[in-house]
Amino acid sequence: MSLERKIPIEERLNTNAWDVDQRPHIRIIDPDQCRKCDKKPCLYLCPARCYTPGPDGTVLFSHEGCLECGTCRIVCPENNIEWNYPKSGFGVQYRFG
Amino acid sequence: MGLKFDVTVVGAGPAGLTAAQQLASKGFKVLVIERGKKPGSKNVFGGRIYAHVLDKLYPEYVKEAPVERWVRRERITMMTEDSWTTLDFETTKVEHRSFTAYLTNFVEWLDKKAESAGAVVVSEVPVDKLIIKDGKVVGVRAGNDEIYSDVTIIAEGINRLVLERSGLAPKLSPELVALGVKEVIKLSREEINERFNLDDDEGMAWVLAGYPTHYLPGGAFIYTNKEAITLGIVLYLSYGYQLDIPINELIEEFRLHPMIKRIVKGGQLLEYSAHLTPVAGVNASPPSLYGDGYLVTGDAAGFLLHLGIIIRGVDFAMESGRLAAEAVVKAHDSGKYDKESLSIYGKLLEESFVLRELKTFRNAHKVLIEPRLYSDYVRMINTMLKRYFEVDGTPRKLGSTLLETKGNLTLLDLAKDAIRVVMNL
Amino acid sequence: MGGLTIIVPVKAAVPNVTAVRLDPVTHNLVREGVPLMLNPYDRNALEFALRLKDKYGGKVITISMAPPSGKDFLESTIGMGADEAYLITDRAFAGADTLATSYTIAKSVQKLFPDFDLLVFGEETTDSTTAHMPAQVASWLNLPYVYYAVDAEVKLEDRLILVTRYLEDEGVYETYEYKMPIIVSVYKNSNPPRDVSLVRKVEAKINGLVKSIDNNALKLERECIGLRGSPTIVAKIEDAKPIERKKQIFKGDPKEAAKWLLDNLIKEGVVKP
Repeated sequence: MSLERKIPIEERLNTNAWDVDQRPHIRIIDPDQCRKCDKKPCLYLCPARCYTPGPDGTVLFSHEGCLECGTCRIVCPENNIEWNYPKSGFGVQYRFG
Repeated sequence: MGLKFDVTVVGAGPAGLTAAQQLASKGFKVLVIERGKKPGSKNVFGGRIYAHVLDKLYPEYVKEAPVERWVRRERITMMTEDSWTTLDFETTKVEHRSFTAYLTNFVEWLDKKAESAGAVVVSEVPVDKLIIKDGKVVGVRAGNDEIYSDVTIIAEGINRLVLERSGLAPKLSPELVALGVKEVIKLSREEINERFNLDDDEGMAWVLAGYPTHYLPGGAFIYTNKEAITLGIVLYLSYGYQLDIPINELIEEFRLHPMIKRIVKGGQLLEYSAHLTPVAGVNASPPSLYGDGYLVTGDAAGFLLHLGIIIRGVDFAMESGRLAAEAVVKAHDSGKYDKESLSIYGKLLEESFVLRELKTFRNAHKVLIEPRLYSDYVRMINTMLKRYFEVDGTPRKLGSTLLETKGNLTLLDLAKDAIRVVMNL
Repeated sequence: MGGLTIIVPVKAAVPNVTAVRLDPVTHNLVREGVPLMLNPYDRNALEFALRLKDKYGGKVITISMAPPSGKDFLESTIGMGADEAYLITDRAFAGADTLATSYTIAKSVQKLFPDFDLLVFGEETTDSTTAHMPAQVASWLNLPYVYYAVDAEVKLEDRLILVTRYLEDEGVYETYEYKMPIIVSVYKNSNPPRDVSLVRKVEAKINGLVKSIDNNALKLERECIGLRGSPTIVAKIEDAKPIERKKQIFKGDPKEAAKWLLDNLIKEGVVKP
């Protein structure tokens, strides 16, 4: 892929090696909290775009592309993210870290 | 009671594996527990290792370690949308002071060292929490399993979940960390040598400020490896809320900047990664770096020196791991692993470069977090030089050009900021 | 009664194929820096085996033909609960296609565990997806083979096993009864694997539960193993070129949309009026 253009995040994540668990290791605790949150920093600070806007001001989360950086946990103003590392070695497999 | 070791190390990174190797080589029964599929598979850093700690620990490293290139050239750039001003330092001598590397490979190498010294390194298991009995850390828990040991060395990295869950550290706050996002881009050896004016084993370390983070505190970096470059941005998370575009697009805008675009031309993306980094040094440390039955090392202890231009994590992590091992040996000799016996770790840290340097630069992050550095100053210097070099028949002196271009900054601001930078960095 | 002896042959796979590049000149996989891991579907097979062991007792043994680095992913199988693991490793096995591999696995199992009850395979590997192995091993050993298995019940005293298989397309379950030993391959979306245990991983290391065996010990026919035993020839590898699509979107009334779609398909010659 040419680097002289914008590369959709999915395409960039696809260059990584993965062994994704079926079970999510991160969970939004209370969707109502997200509805009340006006900043929603997870939406633009997650480098993998795991957080996307949902209906009625909620936030949807998908764990598959998670880079395990921990940013969402720290920037969530409502402390509304239950955050764990994947078990059993699952998740992103960095080769050039 | 199940399995018992002398020492359990949580995390097989630079700190944990150094501690493990040191202790195993002295005959301690050491267990290292790593959450990744293998040591190194969850590690990410910018791209450079300062070698001085390796001289002491593994003098054979010059031949053995997975070095990409020895840094011979350093660049600092202040970048706007359409121009940049660069300070370019080169030396003809390659002095083996620092090298670029993949942390994944480097950690794998450290793992071999620890295992051949006799440490047991198991991967694929995240530790959930410490087992604390009567105020003393006596082991670790992972799922339904427990493993006991006389002393536990916590080297779990920046997201110190084990410490937090065990009540030994408060939750990390945005002021203490920055987010790094990195792209590894494959280029041929010849392309790299040509584009960066390097010979085969010579490398460049480059930091850039201003436009890469849309003028928020933080910056960008580019390191040359053998056949790839690593390109990334680092953003202080306390300013994350002010970001005007998603961070995954921010790194792209940097890559697509006209000056950078020509450097990555024809390259191929190999990996896209992200990791947090401590930016507040000792201010991010947990309340205590040691206690009854435990010691804290590496990123989990906040042991990373971040001076904007110089970022040192691996050498601080390894040295703290080495000192933790030394403290364990001394405590073992005294026959106790209580807080008092392990307090020698604190002394060793104070005497070493780890705390000496971190304390010297205790206030660095307060200076570096000043947004003016990344916005007004970057713009000012570029505008000033642009005006100065624009010859149109109007007589211009540097001083008057400076006054013309300083914008909202007062001379007092300039003086104060200059003093703060000089005094703290 | 010693319970069941269950052998689970496993393979290393590259994590996801998109992360692996083909060398533009040699067309070989560029494995540089690609971590090998346990084939994901083999975990479901191992889970199937471990559930039977939990219920009926006995032991679960994993086996793999791999280079010496295969020790790591075999340690994962111990971590999940296998009792021991065997790494079949020898230069003589290198370059094997599925035929030579199935021969090696079948004959190794026969020699090492002549009294086994079940050989449990994953449905296929994620990186080569041939699903050849269980059928070929069944053929070498002349044993019954049941695939898409999701569950089983055992009558130990009669050495009987009732295997339930799930046929995805039809959405039906079938149950078959066999006299053991048999070969089973496990439906990939069944038996979600259990987590790796810390204590088991430590035991794998300190008790040396992964054992290596070479062909000096196995003495398999040289003509049937490795490159010599592999009739498969990779004549050519081609990158599939992405097809440019026209990507037209029609917005509006569904009836009109259907008509618009049909008109366009006729125009393109995809369907005849």
